[in-house]
Amino acid sequence: MQQDYIIEVEDLCFTRGEKVIFDHLNLKVPRGAISAVMGPSGTGKTTLLRVIGGQLRPDSGKVLLNGKDVCTMGREELFRARRDIGMLFQTSALFTDMNVFENVAFPLRVHTNLPEDTIRDLVLMKLNAVGLRGARDLRPSQLSGGMSRRVALARATALDPDLIMYDEPFTGQDPISMGVILTLIHDLNEALGTSTLLVSHDIHETLSIADYLFVIADGKVIGEGTPDQLKANESRRIHQFMHGDPDGPVPFHYPADDLRFDLLSEVE
Amino acid sequence: MISFLRRIGNRVLFRLEGLGRATIMWGLAMATLPRKGDMTLLFRQIYSIGVMSIAIIVLSAFAIGAVISLQFYTQLSRFGAEDAVGAGLALVLLRELGPVVTGLLFAGRAGSAITAEIGLMKTTEQLSIMEMMGVDPLRRIVAPRLWGGIISMPLLTAIFNVVGIYGGVVVGVYWLGADAGGFWSGMQDAVDVREDIVKGMLKAAIFAVVVTWIAVFQGYDCEPTAEGMGRATTRTVVTSSVLILALDFFLTLSMYGDF
Repeated sequence: MQQDYIIEVEDLCFTRGEKVIFDHLNLKVPRGAISAVMGPSGTGKTTLLRVIGGQLRPDSGKVLLNGKDVCTMGREELFRARRDIGMLFQTSALFTDMNVFENVAFPLRVHTNLPEDTIRDLVLMKLNAVGLRGARDLRPSQLSGGMSRRVALARATALDPDLIMYDEPFTGQDPISMGVILTLIHDLNEALGTSTLLVSHDIHETLSIADYLFVIADGKVIGEGTPDQLKANESRRIHQFMHGDPDGPVPFHYPADDLRFDLLSEVE
Repeated sequence: MISFLRRIGNRVLFRLEGLGRATIMWGLAMATLPRKGDMTLLFRQIYSIGVMSIAIIVLSAFAIGAVISLQFYTQLSRFGAEDAVGAGLALVLLRELGPVVTGLLFAGRAGSAITAEIGLMKTTEQLSIMEMMGVDPLRRIVAPRLWGGIISMPLLTAIFNVVGIYGGVVVGVYWLGADAGGFWSGMQDAVDVREDIVKGMLKAAIFAVVVTWIAVFQGYDCEPTAEGMGRATTRTVVTSSVLILALDFFLTLSMYGDF
């Protein structure tokens, strides 16, 4: 029997130098849904994805992926577990020494023994799904930012993973690319029956697509629920974030001495 | 005083930590012997590291062989010992200049390229995405370069030695007019396979391990920024060159020193 949650993060603590990134963070990502982690810049959203993917080891806590703790896995076991995860980085991270076709074919060539004509068909289907079948021979340097992200998306879904993680998929996209990526994330989740976890601070786009949301700040989940539940949440911090208020519990000013004191000091 | 000691201690710890990371990376990469499916990657690296370095090795070897021959001939002809030019040229090249100069050229040409390539892959998150795909970058990226360098450099040293001797023949025999029979027979008498050729190639193999190890580690461990990559590339060339020269002294001492 399958579990209800594909990822369960329990009491996660993570520090970088003196800075506490996660302080006993808990969250559960539902299986088969599009879940989003939101929060102001610098709250550790990308770090959370890297901890879930086993690229960073936490100080303490558990990260259960399909019921298995990623934090205690050995090197080989971790590499095997990652084959069930597709990941889209903010930079797309296409292999610059390969063309578009070879980039998408890469996971299939490495992890399967499929014959070449099957790989060709699969790659063309994946590229067709993101609308770039015609760009198969282009090099990554010949692609626009939006096209690169779509190729990376095709590559992330090449092995039909259980979970696809997106790191800031909407950042730096023009409105058309944004619309295309939103549609693709939604359609791929539906068509492949995968679970999706995306981190973003683009509120409108994320609310339009996510089934379930987590808002993190100060190393903890400060609110979670469906988009409607979060919109109705009366917590001042969540309200400030959801409505983009420039000042509030997250102050507009970086901590500093009194302005008059600073100005007078300069005169002296 | 305490803060001064603390700074020194921190620096020593930082260096030791780096050495530890480099050793672990080297061990893991060397342990991943190329498998059947990885041979294409290995051959590609041998081509990129070794074959593409042949031109610079040949040109440098010819020039160095020519200069050594010219200098030996000029000095030895004053004593009527032109026949010793061939012996001197061969011993200098096989024992010292072959491995050392090839190592220095290799560090400058291939070592810097390896560091820059791996560093750029790290900066553009290609190594991270590879890890996330369940592909070990140590096996896929580091090991083929490490083995490619270790295989290529001794072969480049052999090419350097042969071309260097030919450069010496062109200047000493064809141009300056040394007796060809004396040149070759002097060389044949002086050169011992085990003492000169094998030990010279052993040096080349050791330098190959050192240079490729430094190059892949600097790329793999570099700060993922443009400045970080620049610093890593510089460190590869400088550290490799200094280590080659220092190691050469100790290797020569242990191989040929008679104390």
